[in-house]
Amino acid sequence: MHVVDLQDAKKSFGKTEVLKGISLEVDKGDVLAIIGPSGGGKSTLLRCLTMLETLDGGRLAYGDLVVAENGPDGHATYAPKKVLAEAKTRYGLVFQNFNLFPHYTVLKNVIDPLICVQKMPREAAETRGRGLLEKMGLTGKEHMVPCELSGGQQQRVAIARALAMNPDVLYFDEPTSALDPELTREVLRVIRELALEHMTMVIVTHEMSFARDVADKLIFMDGGTVVERGRATDVINDPQHERTRLFLANYQQH
Amino acid sequence: MFGLLLDGLALTAQIFIVTLIGALPLGVVVALARMSRFRVVAAIARFYISILRGTPLMLQLMAIMFGPYYLFGLQMGPDWKFWACDIGFILNYAAYFGEIYRSGIQSIPRGQYEAASVLGYSRAQTFMKIVLPQVVKRILPAMGNEIITLVKDTSLAFVLGIAEMFSQAKALAAREVSMVPYALAALIYWVFCLLIEFILNRVEKRLDYYHN
Repeated sequence: MHVVDLQDAKKSFGKTEVLKGISLEVDKGDVLAIIGPSGGGKSTLLRCLTMLETLDGGRLAYGDLVVAENGPDGHATYAPKKVLAEAKTRYGLVFQNFNLFPHYTVLKNVIDPLICVQKMPREAAETRGRGLLEKMGLTGKEHMVPCELSGGQQQRVAIARALAMNPDVLYFDEPTSALDPELTREVLRVIRELALEHMTMVIVTHEMSFARDVADKLIFMDGGTVVERGRATDVINDPQHERTRLFLANYQQH
Repeated sequence: MFGLLLDGLALTAQIFIVTLIGALPLGVVVALARMSRFRVVAAIARFYISILRGTPLMLQLMAIMFGPYYLFGLQMGPDWKFWACDIGFILNYAAYFGEIYRSGIQSIPRGQYEAASVLGYSRAQTFMKIVLPQVVKRILPAMGNEIITLVKDTSLAFVLGIAEMFSQAKALAAREVSMVPYALAALIYWVFCLLIEFILNRVEKRLDYYHN
């Protein structure tokens, strides 16, 4: 059974078809990178996977939990709220702009969802939260508020917050696009460490060398479709499709 | 003379406090209704806000005071004027507070809701724990303005024959044929406002531990 199983995902905004039947499977321990030009549907795909947007058509399942499935009318029908709430415990999302809660301390950002959503006792939540912050190299910052941290530190708090929920899969939506090169490096290092621990991850990124080094699978998306997919090193080193080639060539120029 | 003014001040303070206790939470309801997905609810809220902001508070107080008799022939007891006063002030200020809340709620970035949603916070938790505390910080200056205005608006209760501070000053001025009671009342209003300013500053400082 796949950790994430998405079949024939369709999504339109008004008359613009943003996802034209995307399928992808993620298995335990996979690191999947999604690359492609802006407006190609990458973010929408991630937003549909995390239920920030609803699919128009297709099927989405997290393990044995079917979140959405095409009904008889061919439109995606979502499972009851209870199932969706359960599914939400199976994934985490790291945003481009971190989206930490500014009025909470670093530690509270990480543990409040554990206490409020997962109903974990405070002590246990604090132990887990402190452990994760230490892992993210943020020891000593527990009682600071996000605005006192650098962007890279904030993003690492966001990663800790997502990891705290113990998800089966962690999504990253361009996690370093809001960061300067130095801060980018420290965030990428953390993600790389997670990959070494076989954390299941799906990463939308513009960092090609990072995608090649860290991901084992890769999808190149453009115009709402998957143009090319395969092993990350293969696709980046030796793209088969013209569009992939052009896109990558543009990147290498920069 | 000072004693009579202080008697009035007690009523003034009472109107002020009761209005805040009623209108601060009612304003949340107004704001949420105004932003409701249900168009009818939103339209009703918009109409409510429009009427209460678009007509003088003095007229609203009179309408509530005399409405029951002229519309329904109801004889209200001698205490009714106090009720009418409180109801009028609460309804009026809830309209203003509601719009301030709305501006604050709408200024919270979408990413906050999205992060909360992905983490599994319920809609109620998201509003109470994530959105509202941030809204409070953002709207504090605007609320401060409105609350200071309320201190002085309490003087409108004189049209209902409530012996708050302004009414007392007026009566005293007539009796003593002197402007001093007015000057004294002005001074007391100002000190009242200073106190409010002090409290607002304290709250603002307390919420100053983060920026965004």
